[in-house]
Amino acid sequence: MTPLVVAENLSKHFPARRMFGRGRPVQAVSGVSLTVGRGEAVGLVGESGSGKSTIGRLMLGLLEPSAGRVVIDGTDLGATDADSLRRLRRRMQLVFQDPYSSLDPRRTVGAQIADGLAIHRIVPSGERRARVEALLARVGMTPAHADRYPHEFSGGQRQRVGIARALATGPEFLVADEPVSALDVSVQAQVLALLADLRRRLGLAMLFISHDLPVVRSICDRTVVLYLGRIMEEGPAGEVFERPRHPYTKALLSASPTLDPARRRRRILLPGDPPSPADPPSGCVFRTRCPWVAPVCAGAAPPLRELAAGHFVACVRADALGPVPDAPNGSVSQQ
Amino acid sequence: MQRLRPGPVVAVGTIAFLALLVPLFGLDNPLHMDIAHRLAQPTLAHPLGQDAYGRDVLARLLWGARVSLAVASSSSALACLVGTALGLAGGFLRGPVEFLALRGMDVVLCFPPLLLALLVVTLLGPGAPTLIPLLAVLYLPGFVRVVYAGVLSVRTQDYVEAMRSLGAGRLRIMLGTILPNVGGPVLVQFSIAAASAVVLESGLSFLGLGVVPPAPSWGLMIGEARATMMQAPLLLLWPCLALSVTILALNALCDALRDAVDPHGITRRRRHGGLLDRLAPGLLPAPGAALELAGLTIAIDTPSGPIHPVRDVSLRVMPHETLALVGESGSGKSLTGLATMGLLPPIARVAGGAAWIEGRDVLRLDEAALRRLRGATVAMIFQDPLSSLNPVQRIATQIGEAVQAHARSPAKATWRRAVELLRHVGIPDPERRAHNFPHEMSGGMRQRAMIAMAIANQPRLLIADEPTTALDVTIQAQVLELLAALRRESGMALIFITHSLPVVAEIADRVAVMYAGEIVEQGRVAEVFARPLHPYTAALLASVPREDGSLAEAIPGTVPPPYALPPGCAFAPRCRFARADCSSGTLALTEVMAERLTRCRRWSDLA
Ligand SMILES: Nc1ncnc2c1ncn2[C@@H]1O[C@H](COP(=O)(O)OP(=O)(O)O)[C@@H](O)[C@H]1O
Ligand code: SF4
Ligand code: SF4
Ligand SMILES: [Mg+2]
Repeated sequence: MTPLVVAENLSKHFPARRMFGRGRPVQAVSGVSLTVGRGEAVGLVGESGSGKSTIGRLMLGLLEPSAGRVVIDGTDLGATDADSLRRLRRRMQLVFQDPYSSLDPRRTVGAQIADGLAIHRIVPSGERRARVEALLARVGMTPAHADRYPHEFSGGQRQRVGIARALATGPEFLVADEPVSALDVSVQAQVLALLADLRRRLGLAMLFISHDLPVVRSICDRTVVLYLGRIMEEGPAGEVFERPRHPYTKALLSASPTLDPARRRRRILLPGDPPSPADPPSGCVFRTRCPWVAPVCAGAAPPLRELAAGHFVACVRADALGPVPDAPNGSVSQQ
Repeated sequence: MQRLRPGPVVAVGTIAFLALLVPLFGLDNPLHMDIAHRLAQPTLAHPLGQDAYGRDVLARLLWGARVSLAVASSSSALACLVGTALGLAGGFLRGPVEFLALRGMDVVLCFPPLLLALLVVTLLGPGAPTLIPLLAVLYLPGFVRVVYAGVLSVRTQDYVEAMRSLGAGRLRIMLGTILPNVGGPVLVQFSIAAASAVVLESGLSFLGLGVVPPAPSWGLMIGEARATMMQAPLLLLWPCLALSVTILALNALCDALRDAVDPHGITRRRRHGGLLDRLAPGLLPAPGAALELAGLTIAIDTPSGPIHPVRDVSLRVMPHETLALVGESGSGKSLTGLATMGLLPPIARVAGGAAWIEGRDVLRLDEAALRRLRGATVAMIFQDPLSSLNPVQRIATQIGEAVQAHARSPAKATWRRAVELLRHVGIPDPERRAHNFPHEMSGGMRQRAMIAMAIANQPRLLIADEPTTALDVTIQAQVLELLAALRRESGMALIFITHSLPVVAEIADRVAVMYAGEIVEQGRVAEVFARPLHPYTAALLASVPREDGSLAEAIPGTVPPPYALPPGCAFAPRCRFARADCSSGTLALTEVMAERLTRCRRWSDLA
């Protein structure tokens, strides 16, 4: 069976915003191919600016790719007219990161949840109220909440409202763009449990965007690691987490603080900041910060290679990395 | 949205009401002349006297209000309607519509308003039918700009993207989502335009270019009264008074509207100076502590009485030590840090307790002494360096200012010292970076620059409020490493405020866990995390994302807001261990084992 969502060779370049002269375009996403199967949860991990949100919006047809295409259940988003695209939106929805700016402050949450029902004429207007209340119940809130305004809710509750609004149209595909990053840990756990539960019960396919590897692992089947708009590593979530093969993934994992002293790894401290996406390094884009960098890395950009079943890595040296070198680049600290 | 102040609404309402109901008052016909009684003094029939043609002044005044307000409000309404439509379309549809709307307005703005008015009226002749569209055109740019700017900021909000994602059409988004969100400023603009239209209408009428005589209008009345100023000076007073009162009322309404639609509300300024209770809790500071807080309580006054977002916070940090202050948002971590620096926001005040920094109680120092303390003895860094750095100053200049604040030195040496500090915090190529403006630096680099500024005078205590929360993990690792290294080499004490337990585990020696404004547990990090003695700490630890792929356990419910704290233990409604007696009395933070403090009645059941 073909996957529900197929993104082929997606690129997105944003024109440079410069007051004078011409700047180089920002290469937010370059040559990314990605699939999300029916009922599958795929985690998209990367640091800010790595192109996660851009990919999410490309896959929903909210942005137009500079190159490549997105096919949803056999329909090429780029080849459909505006009207059918609008109808297709019913089947795919977005959950936002910021629980404050994602809800209209001037309308009751009930009215906002009902928007999708009204736009796609899903239920007659007389039955909308009942449907809104059912959706609120589904995300763990009460019918009375429908008449309240967003500012009357906490961050976690607002995020639940955002999820209810996305579920209103009965989507098959959900893009969740850092849905818990802005929440406190205790509330994070509530919302993650809700998302995991909804996915199971409704069979939702999900693109789960996050910068937190443990969170992705707990909720996703597959993980895709991004750096500077390109895929570095892709594989089963547990596999990528337990046996990362790409230097960037290794560094990312070793840098995330952990409670478990037994797991406190030898920390790989990457030097400096990621390069500008308007001016990415040639060859492997990670080479300016990679502790394992070698002259060969400056050649052609390393393609994704399948090193184990379903585990892809874009690193020329991935077969024989060895322990962290006291590299020209990296400083390594012992925790 | 705040509540609208009633005063100005009543004032403007009364004026409008009078103007609307004039015909019902049974006043004289304002056009009825009575030459025999020209300039007559006030009588019972004519309470304000009669003018140069013997017309009743009161009647003319009130009918004049009708004319003035009708012209002002209809022209403003017209400008508002057209301007909102243009601004909305320009801001949302962009492209040629945007160009036409904005450039069109620029053209209107090129003409000085009074000259344009004079020109048009001379060409088309005076009278209300000319005046209304003319004034509308003059006020159009204001509306277009306000709406356009509002649309630009609203259209990037996620809730607009959400409507697109739901498949909503443009018209629905423009009218249903964007328009209501720019409504407030439009209302304000309307009252500004109306007030200014009243003035302009009077001015033009005064010059004989507005309302045509004999129709009554305040401007006309002033013009006519001028001729007889010597015989009847009061005739000049009445219309001027009416005009002033109307303008004042409209301006007051305008201010009230602005306050009402301002989402930040009205901040009441108040210093905490006189409110300190001199009877600070006993306990002298521990010798040698970098900071000691004893029973710190912070109050915020609200219309329904004071609330206490920080209560009875006691802690001690020794030199060389890192204490983590951990808790969820709203638990009072930041307020505690700010109070220690004497930097509480104006609405908050210290309601009790003491804060000793090297033996001096900072809560009782005056502003000058505090300034000397800040930077030199204690410094603070924040989550968002971009908002705490000056956007228009080079980075080395700002660091130089921090250096200069406590020890004057020549400019050259100051710059060199700034570069030195930048190198010290690990900024690559510091000579070149020194010339950068904050926006030219990455988030991690800005945080390093903030740290450079904070350590410029070798403070003995550094308070870091969520300094890595906005950073990516690889950058967070760099900054944590930097802070640890600085602390090691200088021996300063560090208070690290965060909501992340894993970060606490990485950086801190001791931890104080805050919940709903109180410290509920305190102790050495390794011991607290291995064996928490408070149910909240235990639940918080269980809610951290797991590394083995299983889902973390959520804490049910939400943190109670400071205005609705439950009685007894604040955590009781969410606590698995709660018993009936947990919800009454007061609980104190008690040392139940060596260096282990908890605020729980059942700690021994957890241990
Ligand atoms: N509308 C836009 N215009 C210009 N540049 C953009 C736009 N949206 C994103 N970018 C740039 O594209 C890159 C990737 O951004 P984004 O997809 O938001 O990353 P992430 O979600 O991983 O943080 C960044 O460099 C960002 O500045
Ligand atoms: S290709 Fe080279 S630079 Fe890139 S990740 Fe692999 S070793 Fe590092
Ligand atoms: S005092 Fe009672 S309610 Fe409070 S934390 Fe302890 S057991 Fe729970
Ligand atoms: Mg993003």
